[in-house]
Amino acid sequence: MLLEILIGGLIALKEYVALHVVTCLIPAFLLAGGIIAFTSRDTILKYLGAKAKNIISFPLAAISSIFIAVCSCTVIPVSAGIYRKGGAIAPAFILLWVAPASNILAVIYTGNIIGYNMAVARIITAFVTAFVMGTVMYLSFRKEEADRMVEGEEGGNNDKKIIAGKDIILLLLILFSLLSPNYLITKGPYLYKVYVFAISISITFLYACLTIKKDRIFNWLKETWWFVKLIFPLLLMGVFIVGVIGKILPQQWIEHWLGGNSLRSSFLATLIGAVSYFATMTEAPFVDTLMKLGMGKGPALALLLSGPGMSLPNMLAIIKVFGFKKASVYIVTMVILATISGWFWGNYIF
Amino acid sequence: MKIEILGTGCPKCKKLNELVGEAINELGASAEIIKVTDINKIIDYGVMVTPALVIDGNVKVAGKIPSKQEITDWIKEKK
Repeated sequence: MLLEILIGGLIALKEYVALHVVTCLIPAFLLAGGIIAFTSRDTILKYLGAKAKNIISFPLAAISSIFIAVCSCTVIPVSAGIYRKGGAIAPAFILLWVAPASNILAVIYTGNIIGYNMAVARIITAFVTAFVMGTVMYLSFRKEEADRMVEGEEGGNNDKKIIAGKDIILLLLILFSLLSPNYLITKGPYLYKVYVFAISISITFLYACLTIKKDRIFNWLKETWWFVKLIFPLLLMGVFIVGVIGKILPQQWIEHWLGGNSLRSSFLATLIGAVSYFATMTEAPFVDTLMKLGMGKGPALALLLSGPGMSLPNMLAIIKVFGFKKASVYIVTMVILATISGWFWGNYIF
Repeated sequence: MKIEILGTGCPKCKKLNELVGEAINELGASAEIIKVTDINKIIDYGVMVTPALVIDGNVKVAGKIPSKQEITDWIKEKK
């Protein structure tokens, strides 16, 4: 029995990791490293910290989330910083919600494991709910904010660009080498994908060597290596645990509580995601395993949304930084939003 | 000299801590190293992206790990 469980874990490792390392994980890490190395996060944060109108700051916060943090651990100080430095409350909480829910590594991995429609759903929902989240936070704390904003500082001048033109091209090339093997080659042996990947990544590196200075390329690779060192062991461990859980959990139990697309299933899935800690990316194989055991698509989306952004230790950190009142409004809103999103997509779109 | 390392305990903050220790040892400089892990205090420095290095109250770098050479230069300036 025990042996069977362990083997389950190992098989999961082989399925999820081995098949994805070359054509998915390597370019995904390169892309994440590139975003960190080539974009000026300081400049983005300055824009967000400025006293911008809601019409501008809401979408700006949502879009720039992609570039700022890759895992939930780094987003709390960033979001707290925007809030404390005079930025409005809404962008800070939008960032807190969207950055982990739609972070680039996890979305790409979701697309590869569960299917691209789930990845698209994840991004769209994260963005749409971000606006709701921002509005709720803005309306709930409007009065408090009006007093506080007086002390806030001006956003000031930005002379530094967010990203240089040739760096954008490099990031797009990495994105291409990430997507091309998986979407150009949908049939045939895995080796074909590797060929396509080899060609596109060679072009990427050739471009990098020709146009970008050596020390910046080196810096990019260094940042990439950090991600690999940080996330890869967690991913291996997470996937193994997911494999084991898949063997232990009774299928009937999952079908009963998480099957279908009812509000209750979505709510339970949201709660599982909100309470437990998922290292970046591990939520994808976890959800995939639960889906194979009978979880509905709606609840799956709900779990993907709440999983990476929220966990018990995370909640404590948010309470500590923003205070109990704001944190509670945020957490309750998040649970409601994820539940409704799961229910909505499950019943009307998937 | 007071050297503060701001960071919530992420791996990059530990790496920065290591580098600072090495730089000080090599220079034989006397410095007080303080690790600041409280998010609220970190933000008071105007730092949002950790790790960050603060020498005598001045933020030298934030959001990335400086090279050991850079750290050495900053400490020399102050000496």
